[in-house]
Amino acid sequence: METLVLNGLVNGLIVGGIYALIGMSLTLLYGVLRVVNFAHGEFVIGGSFLAYALFSHLGLAPLFALPVAAASFFALGWGAYYLLLPRLQKSDDPEIMSFLMMYGVSLALAAAMLLMFDADSRSIDYSFQPISMKIGPIYVSTARIVTFGVTIAISAALTWFLFRTLPGKALRAAIMNREAIQIVGVDLVKLSAFAFALASAIAGVTGVLVALVFPAFNPFSGAEYSIIGFIVVVLGGLGNPVGALIAGVIYGLAEQLATVFLPQAMAPIIGFGLLVAVILIRPTGILGWRAQR
Amino acid sequence: MPADSGGTAPRSAERASAERIYFTLAALIGGVIGVYFLVVPVFDLNIAFHFYLMLWITMASAFNVAAGFSGYMPFGFVAFYGVGAFATAILVKSLGFPVLLALPFSGAAGVLLGLLFAPTLRLSGIYFAIVSLALAGICRLVISNMPEEITGGSFGLQLGSRAQPVHSFYVMMAVMLMALGVILWLSRSRLGKALRAVRDDAEAADMMGVNVTRVRLYGWLIAAFFPAVCGGIEAWYTNVVDTETAFNTLTTAKTVIYAVAGGLGTVTGPIVGSVVMVWLDELIWRQFPLLNLLILGVATVMLVLFLPRGIVGTLLRRRPEWRRYVP
Repeated sequence: METLVLNGLVNGLIVGGIYALIGMSLTLLYGVLRVVNFAHGEFVIGGSFLAYALFSHLGLAPLFALPVAAASFFALGWGAYYLLLPRLQKSDDPEIMSFLMMYGVSLALAAAMLLMFDADSRSIDYSFQPISMKIGPIYVSTARIVTFGVTIAISAALTWFLFRTLPGKALRAAIMNREAIQIVGVDLVKLSAFAFALASAIAGVTGVLVALVFPAFNPFSGAEYSIIGFIVVVLGGLGNPVGALIAGVIYGLAEQLATVFLPQAMAPIIGFGLLVAVILIRPTGILGWRAQR
Repeated sequence: MPADSGGTAPRSAERASAERIYFTLAALIGGVIGVYFLVVPVFDLNIAFHFYLMLWITMASAFNVAAGFSGYMPFGFVAFYGVGAFATAILVKSLGFPVLLALPFSGAAGVLLGLLFAPTLRLSGIYFAIVSLALAGICRLVISNMPEEITGGSFGLQLGSRAQPVHSFYVMMAVMLMALGVILWLSRSRLGKALRAVRDDAEAADMMGVNVTRVRLYGWLIAAFFPAVCGGIEAWYTNVVDTETAFNTLTTAKTVIYAVAGGLGTVTGPIVGSVVMVWLDELIWRQFPLLNLLILGVATVMLVLFLPRGIVGTLLRRRPEWRRYVP
């Protein structure tokens, strides 16, 4: 039993790191653009398929797929922003309409992946040497340890970027007040495009990690990750990247520990229950800090 | 407009004539819809297509009560539909209810679920949408994790040899006409006006003596009742219920898209939207069954970008003076 709990804790941290990355990029997007990206999960799965295609066609190891995913998703996000968002901002209720529009994007992306890769579940047949390592009394697969390292590196880099560099500070300022930031001379359109591109890049990279950690993925698993992303974002407080980081880890731990004590299928209920409880009791998220409008 | 400067008599006369046009139009639309669907089985037209057309009109109209009248976007709308489907299936299968008796109960199950979800009405905008989505997920998980004797597990429930396409067709038609009648009444009634007032400015409505919580709840329960009945009838029509199809998020997606395509906030909007989109869907599906989902997604994006107010909504914006005539 103790090993099981320990296993749950370790896996919770690893999976939680991935959820934190999804949540951080999603919340950044919402904070800066006021766009609820329903298609975020499809971006993630797109990254997984990219890693799959690179590995099976070019023999490129998943770790090398990370920079490729980052660069290509950054470019895609940049393009998608200019294609979709400026017109959306003109509608009566851009926030709700963004939800609906991104739902359409999510359907279209899932369908496109279905056409390209078929409906079968895929997994990357790649293993590190050695396959697993012993940490204390338990064995953890090397892929998961590597993933954990990468998630820590990315979240540390993102936090440093947001708090220590000028563009990062501009992003945080945009989350706090979109009007005031224009007064001090920031080009909001360019900043928004950058935020969309950055969030897409993180989603793509996360997708590569998803392919490493989870047993399989298919074109329709995107919706699951979108919903987990929403839960993490709301738990952490909308538009709060640090909150999302913490909430992602908490959610991962709760989910993985739940699988120790409850049947596998019940684990998502824990997550959904957590979401509903937090929203009804403390709508500003666990940190109690709401992005100002 | 001269009526504004004139006395009360010409003004009320004008209002009466506007009202007449309004109700004539409503009766005309209702009559055309009624007669058209009535003769579908008689002339042996495509029953399946028209059954689903009526189902979507009902779903989109009920969604309109939540989204157009009350200002909530329940992205977990399918929860009511799924629960209604399972309520009917369980009542018929386990307790031996006749289907027609089970349908009101599945409507009641929808209302009950609506009451259960009522605390979420405190939330607004995107929070409400996300929580609604999560609640629909919970419903699906709870039902699929129930004991197999009740919900049939992952295989679902089969209603046996009770399928009577023509009967369920006419029941669906009755429910659709009922839904349209309720929404027509709602759009003219005190409750409907209160709902719109609360949607536009809850605090101001509260100041005017509107019981905000109660009004929102009534609107919400109306929106919860009809999808549950639709789910029940669809279960009867297809003879089988399982969690994957009963709680498919695509059901929510289609409902939202059809309602938005027509235009939220009017009685005719969801009807027009459903007719146009279901017909388009059928056309596309026949031509390219594989591309269907892709086209649906792209159509949604185009709709939001280029026609965010929907067909009827855009028309009424071009010609605001028609607002009083169009139901």
